[in-house]
Amino acid sequence: MSRILIVEDDERIRSSMRLALEEEGYTVDGVGSGEEAVSRFGTEPYELVLIDLMLPGIDGFEACRALRRTSTVPVIMVTARSDTHDVVAGLEAGADDYVTKPFVAKELAARIRALLRRSRHEDEDSAFLSFGDVEIEPEAGVVRRAGVEVHCTRTEFRLLCELANHPGKVLSREQLLERVWGYDYFGDGRLVDVHVRRLRTKVEPDPASPRFILTVRGMGYKLAV
Amino acid sequence: MSSATTGVGTGTGIPAAAGRPETWSDATGTPVAGDVTRHARSKRTRLARGLGLRSRVTLTFAVGAFGLSTLMAGITYFTARQTFLSERQSAEQRQAFANAALVQNALRSPVTQVNQLIESVDTLPGSRSVLLTGGQWYATSISVGQSAIPSGERQLVLSGTPASQLFNLAGSPQEVIGIPLPAVHSFYFEVFTLDELAGTLRALAFALAAAALVTTVAGAAVGRWAASRALRPLAGLTDAAVAIAGGQLDTRVEAGDDADLEELASAFNRMTSNLQDRIEREARFTSDVSHELRSPLTTLAATVSVLESHRNQLAPRAQSALDLLDGDLKRFTRMVDDLLEISRFDAGSAELSLDEVDPGELVRRAVAATAPADADGARGPVTFPVEVGLGVDGLRLRVDKRRFERVMANLVENAAQYAGGVTRVLVERQPPYSATIPTPATAIRVVVEDQGPGIPAAERDHLFERFYRGARAGQRAAGEGTGLGLSLVTEHVRLHGGRVWSEDAPGRGTRFVVEFPLFPVGDDGTEGPLDSGVPA
Repeated sequence: MSRILIVEDDERIRSSMRLALEEEGYTVDGVGSGEEAVSRFGTEPYELVLIDLMLPGIDGFEACRALRRTSTVPVIMVTARSDTHDVVAGLEAGADDYVTKPFVAKELAARIRALLRRSRHEDEDSAFLSFGDVEIEPEAGVVRRAGVEVHCTRTEFRLLCELANHPGKVLSREQLLERVWGYDYFGDGRLVDVHVRRLRTKVEPDPASPRFILTVRGMGYKLAV
Repeated sequence: MSSATTGVGTGTGIPAAAGRPETWSDATGTPVAGDVTRHARSKRTRLARGLGLRSRVTLTFAVGAFGLSTLMAGITYFTARQTFLSERQSAEQRQAFANAALVQNALRSPVTQVNQLIESVDTLPGSRSVLLTGGQWYATSISVGQSAIPSGERQLVLSGTPASQLFNLAGSPQEVIGIPLPAVHSFYFEVFTLDELAGTLRALAFALAAAALVTTVAGAAVGRWAASRALRPLAGLTDAAVAIAGGQLDTRVEAGDDADLEELASAFNRMTSNLQDRIEREARFTSDVSHELRSPLTTLAATVSVLESHRNQLAPRAQSALDLLDGDLKRFTRMVDDLLEISRFDAGSAELSLDEVDPGELVRRAVAATAPADADGARGPVTFPVEVGLGVDGLRLRVDKRRFERVMANLVENAAQYAGGVTRVLVERQPPYSATIPTPATAIRVVVEDQGPGIPAAERDHLFERFYRGARAGQRAAGEGTGLGLSLVTEHVRLHGGRVWSEDAPGRGTRFVVEFPLFPVGDDGTEGPLDSGVPA
């Protein structure tokens, strides 16, 4: 029974989402502000957090950053619009995925399942992976750079494994979206872009001119061999 | 030949103004100033509608310069002519009277040979004498004799009055002065040629006409320059208006330090900011309403999904009610989504998030996504073929996938509602592929065909309007249509710099054609497609 924390200031939405997600078999707690979310998250273990970006007090971005400082828990943000920079800002604040209001409960449940599935049993390729001074232990879920452990979110970790499993091969955004997030062809490529950027700041010596995780213009991304 | 003859009063005996030889009036050759302006005015009204302000100002300046310079030239010419002529005439008079006195004295002596006498009196070059004495005509020149003297002049002098007259002889201007010599019963005529004076006046007329022409051209040039200068601020205003019409509502004009323009500029700017406020208010209203609707819709969607999962526990009537609720909730949600999308287009805040994709795969995927999903979200196969034309494989299309997916979904849904569904989807390159003459592809066309009843030509232009249903209202099948589908198709496609239209399908039905340029407008291609939409 996975525990989910909903951060949403509209009480009705919170209640209806709790009803719908409980129907899917999750245990759901709801809080109405970012501050409450941070304090509640510190005391109780949650396997996934849903954060609305528009919150009174500290907003969803800030709450997400606060969670990220201590945790790699999967975060789904709830936005009003999909075509704004809110999405990118939310992803950069550390969210793993996003849904747009009004969302269909089944779709939200599918997103949650995809993220939790990834969190549960990590990578099926359990070999030891490495490139440059970066070492990955897929089974342990550990990434080290020059022997020092690097803290990645589970989505970043999964993306890194996907790239490292196919060194020198170009993976399209669609392929990465499908393998890492479980999206189809029309998934939002910005998820990949922002996660790649986040990943670069963790494993690249100079994230501005990457040596390992390369952009192949018009094609996708690849790990340099 | 002019023959106006004026009696000469006693005293000077010679009139100040004499009859005017025809050739002189022809030489001026200029219509009077009044005619010129009248002519120009009628021309102006006729052309006013066809001419721009700049041309009209230029024309006015040219006509003004022409009128003024012609008037000045005319006055100059006639004053000069009058002065020259009267000087010449007084000289001629003096000579004629002196000669007449000479002839009279000579004739008093009976031994005088008349022929020798008149030969001896000519002093001015080109002057000839004619003498009637003792009923006999004598002349110094064969060409100028009794008959050369105009008859009016002759009769006046023969009746005892001294007179002068201007006349033409063989095309050259002449003046004749006739003096009766009653003491010797004779009449003395002296004929002066005015060729030299006429030549001088012709040269003067030519110079004045040239000056008038130069002044006219200069006037036109000054007019053009002045108009351009006066209109220069208008060019700024025009640019601003064009920019505003193009959606750049924050455009303002600057008056500079011109007090006259300041008023216009500030009025223009006031108008623009009022317009901007209003448009933004309206766009914000639509956007705000849609946003506000999202929260209750989210609650509704979540609670309906709970009811759906307990469907089997509901009575049959409650199940039907739930189905209706679910159906219209979806439709309502779509409508709110579409309205928000439209409001973003209206506010000019819609942005492309471009990906570089294979056109054939894009269309196949987008079409596959339109197939109805079952309860678990799995989609069935589509019932119509997607045919990818020659030369499309290998092309890369830069496109906003989400928007493209919406375009296809709306076209497929439109066909389902009004035309019994799509029968075929074609993906073609533009210009069409040719094996013999290879041309670079510039655009991708996606053609969505149906075999419905077709659309009357008169309705085609309105099809893409918001909430337009027209004559097709009655054909509407039950569905989730919002009435915004086709207008959103247009907006999405336009945002890519493409276009969309409908035409008759071969045989029966309608085909909607969507054309996407391979490289959308405003896409400089420097930004990597994989980083698009993400600020650096």
